Amino acid sequence: MTRYGMLINTRECIGCYACRTACQRQNGLEADIDFIRYEEIETGTFPVVGLECVPIQCMHCEDAPCAKVCPTGATYVTDDGIVRVHEERCIGCKYCMAACPYQVRVHNPRTGVVDKCRFCTVEASEDNPMCSCVEACVTGCRIFGDLDDPESDVSRAIVELNAQPIMGDLTKAKIFYVR
Amino acid sequence: MTFEPIWNSLIAWYLFLAGLGAGAYITSSFLAWRHPDATAMRKTGHLIAPIAVAIGLVLLMFDAEAGLHNPLRFFYLLTNVGSVMMWGVVFLSVFMVVSVVTVVLDFMKRPVPNWLAIVGVVLALCVGAYTGALLGVCQTFPLWNNALLPVLFVVSAISSGAACVLFAAVFRHADEFNRVGVLKKFHFCLPIIELLLVASLCFITAQTNPAGAASVAAMISGDWAIAFWLGLVVVGLLLPTALEIRLLFFSSKEFEESRPAHYISAFSDLGVMVGGFLLRLIVVMAAVPLTVAMPLL
Repeated sequence: MTRYGMLINTRECIGCYACRTACQRQNGLEADIDFIRYEEIETGTFPVVGLECVPIQCMHCEDAPCAKVCPTGATYVTDDGIVRVHEERCIGCKYCMAACPYQVRVHNPRTGVVDKCRFCTVEASEDNPMCSCVEACVTGCRIFGDLDDPESDVSRAIVELNAQPIMGDLTKAKIFYVR
Repeated sequence: MTFEPIWNSLIAWYLFLAGLGAGAYITSSFLAWRHPDATAMRKTGHLIAPIAVAIGLVLLMFDAEAGLHNPLRFFYLLTNVGSVMMWGVVFLSVFMVVSVVTVVLDFMKRPVPNWLAIVGVVLALCVGAYTGALLGVCQTFPLWNNALLPVLFVVSAISSGAACVLFAAVFRHADEFNRVGVLKKFHFCLPIIELLLVASLCFITAQTNPAGAASVAAMISGDWAIAFWLGLVVVGLLLPTALEIRLLFFSSKEFEESRPAHYISAFSDLGVMVGGFLLRLIVVMAAVPLTVAMPLL
């Protein structure tokens, strides 16, 4: 089975927001809609302090709470583990926004549909270069791939860097963070 | 990150009106069984039920913008059987049918069969409880994610439904209003139970985690403090309790059946309805999600 996931190495993230801009362009989003938000967190105790920038987006949970509550079945999980939205089924009830523990579902004020990260980078290949967050990252801190393949770049990096989902086992998230 | 409430007052109105309609149906069925001669009041309650729920549903559709622009999408609402909202749609639709049939029977001056009233009451309870469970399954909001909420919403629904029927009766059927003592006594108890449930909700939620504490703080000492203390606790719960104690237990029969007493009672019922709305508004708007109160555990 294929089970797509991503690694985000926040130790290498410089907080340039290029991933968000690329995502908006790739997905044709208007300026007020973004699938990636940034948490800036102070770490350490004064005077030894640091600022950590953590990009947050849809975690493509295996136990996706948004898909569970969606009354119309607009939000669904594909066979290869990507949480997607059937736009033409969404009534805009915003129940998924309330259910998402990461607050990453985004309401489109023009269409009323509630959207989110689509893991669009899965379509990228040598022949099909994309403007996705993975491609755009200047420090290369994002790695995308198949979590079920132990030899994939992402699986190896997760093991090597001891990457963890942002909130532990909650919802079986498929974005792994190095912090 | 800063947090904007996901739902707004439109949803609070919907939750309130759905509860009020369900409560009005329950009140009418209670009248049919306990005060069968209060026919005009019973019919008023039967009429309030579908009207309140229908207004609520229209508001709900206005909130669901993507569906409002493409109404055919509402048919998909019956696809995900695991969603509480899908069950809500089922309960609301069947309840609407039953309550409209009841109104039609009333208009045709035919008796409402007992089994229909029982089905209606069960559906009304489901509607009331569903409005609580709808919020209750969102595990990231400690103020919602607990078993008290559906109970609290059912009690408040019956309370505001009964208040609405009694309020209408004061102005339209004062003679019947004087004869429904048992209903009034039940109605008097509900705000007291509700007060206990609201207090429990606050005490327990405040101790769950930082998000629970932040939600309760927003209710009792933050942005919602005036609405909570003055609107919900004083006007919605304590004042009706005090006024009804005065009317039910410390009044002569003449005063109880006099016009001033009726107006006091109407004022108390109005307070109950204001409280019922504010309860939903505050619970919907003051809830803080875990991820915001304690970013990234």
